[in-house]
Amino acid sequence: MEIKIMKNILDRNQNKANEVRTLLAAKKVIMVNIISSPGAGKTTLLERTLEEIGSKYRIGVIEGDITTDRDARRLQRFNIPIVVINTEGGCHLDSHSISKVLDSFSLDALDVIFVENVGNLICPSQFDLGETIKLAVVSTAEGDDKPGKYPMLFREARAVLLNKTDLIPYTNFKLESFKTDLRNINASVPLLEISCTKGDGLKEWFKWIEGQIEDTTI
Amino acid sequence: MHELKIAEDLSVIVLDAAKEAELGKVTKVNITFGQMIQIVPDIFEFAFRECVMGTIAENAEINIVIKKVRMKCRGCGKDFHVTENRFVCDNCRSTDLEIISGKELFIKSIEGE
Repeated sequence: MEIKIMKNILDRNQNKANEVRTLLAAKKVIMVNIISSPGAGKTTLLERTLEEIGSKYRIGVIEGDITTDRDARRLQRFNIPIVVINTEGGCHLDSHSISKVLDSFSLDALDVIFVENVGNLICPSQFDLGETIKLAVVSTAEGDDKPGKYPMLFREARAVLLNKTDLIPYTNFKLESFKTDLRNINASVPLLEISCTKGDGLKEWFKWIEGQIEDTTI
Repeated sequence: MHELKIAEDLSVIVLDAAKEAELGKVTKVNITFGQMIQIVPDIFEFAFRECVMGTIAENAEINIVIKKVRMKCRGCGKDFHVTENRFVCDNCRSTDLEIISGKELFIKSIEGE
C-alpha cells in the first residue's frame, strides 16, 4: 500500500524559520546570516564591522561554533550581547537553535543580529534560519572555483564578499575567472572585494551593510 | 554532512506517517531531491539507515529521484534546464529568472504493509 505524503522534508525547520522571520520583522531587527568556508575571515569581518558601525547601531551576535567559544571571545571587547551555539559536531545552524537563543537577547534593544554560521559552504545554505539576508564570504586563498562548486549559496546570497584580496599575488587565484563563474550563477548579486586585514574595500562594505540596516530598521 | 540532519527529519516523517496508517513495516520511501541541494545519495541512505535502525522502516528501500535545475525566464517566459551553472535564459539572455525545480527536498510517499 502506498501512502502519499507530499511534503517538504525540512518543513519543521522552515516553519520555525518563518516564525523567526516574522518576529524579527515585527521588532525591526535585521538578521545577517554569514556563510563561508572555515578560515575565510568571518570573525575578522565581524571585528572590522563592529569597530566601524558598533557605536552607530545596537548589534548582537550569534556565534555558531562546532565545539569552542574562541570566535566569541575575540568579540568580547566590544561589550555587545553575544550568544554561542555549539553544534556539537553539526555542520550548520538551524532555525530551532536560533529561535531558542533569541530569547536571550532583548530584541527591542537591537537593530542588527549577525549570525556567524559554522564554516561550510553547502549545509548552511540549505537551512533557512529566518534571516533577513544571507551573506556569502569567500577568500582568495580558497581558489577561484568556489561559485561553480557551490552554486546554491552564490545564487541565494544577497551579497558576496571576496576577502583576502591582498593575497592574490601569492596565489593562483584568477579574479576574472571567479567573476565570470559568479556572474553566470547570479548576474546581479553585489560583489565586494575586501581585505579585512589591510582594510581594502571595507568602506564599500560598511556603506552596503549600513544601507541594508537602514532599509530594515526604519 | 547535511545529509544526516535531513535524514533525521525524514525518518520522523516516515515513522509518523507509518504509525498513522497503522503499517506493520515500511518497504519503500519515495523522495525527490533537487540537484542544487547537493545531496550525495549513498551518504544520505547510510544516514537514513542509522536513523531508522530498530524500527519498522529499517529495511525500507530508499528511492531517490534527483531533479535537474529548471528555471523560467521572467522576460520571455521560456523555461529551460540550467547546464554548467549558467543561470541565463538561452532564448533572450535575460538573467531575471525564477526557479521551477532543482531545490526539492521532498517526500512523495511511503510504501508498506
